[in-house]
Parts: sequence; C-alpha cells; structure tokens
Amino acid sequence: MNAQQEFENRITKVRQAMREKELQTLLVFDSGRHNFLRMNYVAYLTDFISVGPETMLMLSLEDEPTLFLSPAWDIARAKEESWVKNVQPVDSLWNRLGNHIGKAGLIGREAMNVDLHEELVRALSQTPVNAKDILENMARRKSEFELERLRRAATIADAGVQALHDDARIGLKEFELAAIVEYKMRSLGAEDNFGMVVANNHNQALHPPTDRVVQSGDIIIGEITPCIGGLFVQICRTMVLGKPAPLVNEKYAILKKAMRLGLDAAKTGAPASAVAAAINGTFVEAGYEKYCQPPFMRVRGHGLGCGSSAPGNLEDENKTKLEQGMTFIVHPNQYLPETGYMTLGDTVEMTQSKAEPMTRSSWDIYVKD
Amino acid sequence: MIFGRHSVLKRGCSTWDKQQMPQEEYQGRLEIVRQKMAQQGLDALVIYGDNYAYADLCYLTNYFPKVRGGIGVIPRSGTISLLLNIGSRDVPFAKTLTWVDDVRASGHLGRDCADVLKEKGLAQAKVGLVDSGKGMPLPQLEELKESLPQVQWQPSHSMLQQMRLQKSAKELAALRETGRVLNEICDGAREFINPGRREYEIIADIDRLARDKGVEDIRILSGEKRLQPPSFKMTANAGNHWAVYLAIQHERYWVEVGRTYILSSESKLQSAYQKAQEIVAQMAMQLKRGNSVKVIDETARKQLGEFYATAANYGLGNGIGLNQWEAPYLSEDEARQVGSVSVGASVLNENMTLALRVTFETEGKLILFGDSYEVTPDGPKSLTIK
Repeated sequence: MNAQQEFENRITKVRQAMREKELQTLLVFDSGRHNFLRMNYVAYLTDFISVGPETMLMLSLEDEPTLFLSPAWDIARAKEESWVKNVQPVDSLWNRLGNHIGKAGLIGREAMNVDLHEELVRALSQTPVNAKDILENMARRKSEFELERLRRAATIADAGVQALHDDARIGLKEFELAAIVEYKMRSLGAEDNFGMVVANNHNQALHPPTDRVVQSGDIIIGEITPCIGGLFVQICRTMVLGKPAPLVNEKYAILKKAMRLGLDAAKTGAPASAVAAAINGTFVEAGYEKYCQPPFMRVRGHGLGCGSSAPGNLEDENKTKLEQGMTFIVHPNQYLPETGYMTLGDTVEMTQSKAEPMTRSSWDIYVKD
Repeated sequence: MIFGRHSVLKRGCSTWDKQQMPQEEYQGRLEIVRQKMAQQGLDALVIYGDNYAYADLCYLTNYFPKVRGGIGVIPRSGTISLLLNIGSRDVPFAKTLTWVDDVRASGHLGRDCADVLKEKGLAQAKVGLVDSGKGMPLPQLEELKESLPQVQWQPSHSMLQQMRLQKSAKELAALRETGRVLNEICDGAREFINPGRREYEIIADIDRLARDKGVEDIRILSGEKRLQPPSFKMTANAGNHWAVYLAIQHERYWVEVGRTYILSSESKLQSAYQKAQEIVAQMAMQLKRGNSVKVIDETARKQLGEFYATAANYGLGNGIGLNQWEAPYLSEDEARQVGSVSVGASVLNENMTLALRVTFETEGKLILFGDSYEVTPDGPKSLTIK
C-alpha cells in the first residue's frame, strides 16, 4: 500500500468514527513536544512531524482537510511531506471556527495548555468532545505501511548496537559512548532517538550519559530507540569492556531466560500482564522477588509512540489483550544486587499467533577485551 | 522564530559543573524570588518546566527535565520540592543535577503537586503559577486546581522571565563557554559539507561533533532552498550550497548561529552571504543599553528591503539563554509565536543576550547568517566569534 492509500484509508476510518459519534468537525492538535510514550496524532493523520508549538488539523465530514501550523516558514515542508494540500498559518485557524462547524471533537487535548484550550472553546462557542479514542483505537494495530518503517528502524537499532560493540573502548567518556550509537543511527537516517548509554562496574539504573570515563570491567548498558517517520523501535543490550566481574554472566542468564519466557507468553490474545508475569516469575524463581518492583525495575516493556503506544505498559495490572499488528518492547531490564542494573530487550511485532522480535542482535552479553 | 525538531529525550552529556554555576548562585536567585513573592502576597510558587522549555524551573533549581515535565514547589519559606515525571529509580541521578534535596518521582504531576502543597500547609494559600513556556498539559493543571479548591491561583509567568532578562556574571560565563563550543562545531562542520553526500549523513557528522564536545542537546535545520529538520525523507544529496541553523544546549545554556556554506565560486551568492553578515553586524550595532528593542527590527527592515518579508518569516532574533528563545522578543508577533503575552522588555540593557539572524532567498538559494550576542557597556559582543 502506498502512502496516499494509507492516509486515505485512515481519513475514511476517522470520518466513519466521526459519524458514529455525531461529530461534524474534528480538530487534531500537536504541540511539537514529542513524547515517545504518547501518540503524535497530527503525524498519524498527515505524515508531517511539526516543529512549532501549535499545529492543528481540521477535518470535516466532507471538505478537504486543512492543516494549520506555526511557524509559517515550515508550511512548504508540510505541503511536501504530507498529503494535505491546504496548509495555512495557525493564525488563520481562528477565522474558520464558529457555530457553523457543528459539533466538534478534539484530539490532542492532553498536549494543550490551558490558554489555548480556553481560546478554542471561545472561538467554537462550545467545549469540544475529547475524541482521542478515535485515533487511539484505530492505530493500535500497525499497518504494513507502519511496519515497513518500523523494520527500517529495527535495522538501524541493530546497527547502533553493533557500532557500540565495534567502537566502545576504555578511556572514552559515557557521552562519547552514546555519541557512537547516535552517530551510526543518524547516518542511516534516524530522525530521533530515545537513547541512553551508560557504563559502570555496578549500574544503578539507566540515565542520560555523564562525563564518567569508562574503565576496565565496566558493564555498559544501553537502551537505544531510533525513530523513522515518527515511529520508534527500541533495543536494550549489555556489554562488558575487559574481564567481566564474577557472576555477571551467571546473572545475565536470568535476564535471557526471562526474555525468552516473556516472549513465549506474548501470545496473540493473551493479556499484556501475562508477559510481565512470565518475566517476574523468572526473577522470583531465581530468588529476586523483592527486586521485582521499583526502584529496581520499572515495567517489563511498553508500547512505543509517536505512533500508537498500545498495549501500554507490560505490568501486572494491564489486562489489555495483545493483538496482531501491535508492536512493543519486551525488556526484563533489572537491577540485581550482585551485578547492578543490566538490560536486555527487543521490540516485537505481534503476528497472527505470537510475538516476533523485530531487532536481531544477539541476546548474549558482549564481552570486549 | 526558528523552531527545530524537539528531541524526545535530552540525551547528551548530563552533568552539573559546580564551578561554573555554584549553589550560591541559586540561593541568591531564590532570595530575590522570595522577596518578590512577599511583595505580591504569594505564599508559594508552582513552577512548571519540561524538556521543551525548562528555563524557569532550571533558573532556581539547576534541574532540566530530560523527558516530559517537572514542577518546582517554592514556598515563601521552608523546603523547596521538585516533582519530576520520572521513575523512582531515576531520582538518585536527578539529584546529581540539582541542589534541591527533596526530589520526588511523580506519575501524576498535578495530583502529586497538590499533595505537596497540602503537606506544606498551603491548601488555602495564594499560589503563583509560573509556566512561561506554556507547557503544562491541561489535564495536569485541571487535576491540580480541582485538588485544591481553596487555593487562590495567580498567574506569575513573567516573574522569573524578568529576572532572567539580564544575565549574571556566572551566566554570561556559561553562555560564552557554550558559544566557544558552538564556534568549534561550526569550524569542524565545514569539512563534512561536501557535494554528493546525503544531507542526513552530514547532519550525523555535525551531531557527532557536538555530542563529542559534551553538549546536552542540539537543534539542526538545514537545506539548500529552505530550512528543515532531519528526516528520513531527506534523501537528497547536498549540492554546492547549504544553509545551516545550529543551536546547542551546553550546561543548560543555549547559543545559536546560522551559516551558509557556499562551495561554488558563484559571486552573486557569495556577495549575498557577505551582505547577510553585514546586515546582522548592523543589527548587532544596535545592541546598546538604552536602545529600543524595536530598533533592531527597523535596522533590518531598512537594510533588507524586498528581502525583509522572508527574513521576518524566519524571525530576526530573540533573547537566548536557558531557553532557545526567550525575552526580549523583537516584536509582538515573535512573542506571540511562543505564547508570550509581551516582548518582555522594550529597552535593551547590559548583560542581555540575544540571537540575531538574517535569512533570505536569492538565485533560488537560501542565505542564512546568524550569531548570538551579549550586550556589554562597550556595545555588542559575539558569544561565538572571537
């Protein structure tokens, strides 16, 4: 399916949902504050990722959609990158609003500030209905169009891991390690990265890099998340520079077992909590029950924006059913008292029956002498 | 105004250089803020910041959110609290970036902030709300206000903005250091820009250079005919002409430049770029204490003639510091673009810092030159060019 068909399909589905909700106009907002755990609704409908603080797609049941945005100099890019032909400066939005647009729905309210929302309510003479469910429901299963981008991002994520293996060395600073990964992924076209790479002989958690100098025996942990076309793929891996401390391999084997069992539990139709239970069960069996909670871990995986972040967090309370076409990260990242925090995780695609990893790097801990 | 694509995570070097910005600096600021609070009868301030606009929060705490947002609760006396939308495992690292002792992880900033105010005995207080970056998500604000029905809220967005207008000696030193790093990046970038390379490959090289120098964040926009952020759709190969907007955040402070790399001997383009540099220099000459901010725009208008409209579209400049764009804004329109109700200052003063730029099209190509300056008693001084 080409891009035009893909977006025509999406708009058709949105209009169908609008009719069901008796909405005559839908306003879709983005603030330019990209969050990789939340959808970018405007990008989902337009294929345009905004840079300015106010972007609004106005969609009626019949008329051509209009994209309003700031800054005005970015209109040319919006016309080129999106399928929307009518792109206007955001200032002209206000003249288009009023009673005549009928019952209005709003998607992206969560990203709005109070002043803008109040201005919108005044201009509409109504409080628009929060209609985010329309897109959240539509987007939960990735289309082939999205999967193509995700596969490209997955290849880039693997390349980032390989670059770290190739170029990490004692004497570099943490931020230089992170730069190695970033460089490789950007040079392959990645637009953004939710990436953290840190090194210590006993890591407490992942965090953005510091100026700490890497030393022999350090465990390097990484959470690498390149973005292609607004869609993120994450991979988590662990490596050691020099000789690993005793127990590192033994304890890392628990993460690998948890990863395998977590993937086995990720059956289509199973609840997201089943994955968390399988991973937690592995650590409990190994004697680490009290570490299966914050601050020793956060969640056992999660959806990834700026597309749909379904199924949400992989945790005990999440009973969301895993559906074919969902993509999310499974990561039994864990602090263990003997070794510190270690990381292992793959983004998976739910197929007709089970989860298939999209990233391909070996699960083995990589030891570089 | 020039906006770059906002990164999902500030993933560059994250440290606190306490020599450059010692804790005493923050104590001094806090005392002044508390005096202002007393003058306005405020019992507390609630300051919102996120990884898009963190200036107000960082100005008092040195902390800048890496991802999502945070709230500083500043009572008129007593302990400051910092609520961050992070996991509890991330708190120890967050504490390395701030002098504030009471740092808490929060999954629901609005509700948790209300709890902190109650805990401090401020459930019926008069509280100033600071969100000059207009970033506090509506549901969080609603949750905060609904949880504290007896609090009297007062918009106080400009309180810290006014304090941040004139930089302290420590801040100016930090800005000059950021400028020095940015200058090195610009010099290094030249060798990466070769015809035939994909644009995103060139950007990867520049980005690497910046990250290897320890920047916290970077914005790059580039192109032959217009500025655009890095995109996987940017498959064109670079030609002989490339305009680049570069802004870096280093130890919290932003500095920006604009450059045009003309690799041909095309004399019209060379002279246009020379003209752009001259116009920015003339705009910068207006950076004197007591001058009206408007005079910068008037100078540009006079010099640019028919090219003014394009240049104004991209923005001719703005204040720069803890925010990539901040007061003073050169026009009401520029201020409005970032949600500010005013230009912040109509008259220039010493120790203000501003980014100035000129962008126009000629011969089908984009010409961009820009630099960042401080206003000194002796006139303008570039933060990047020695």
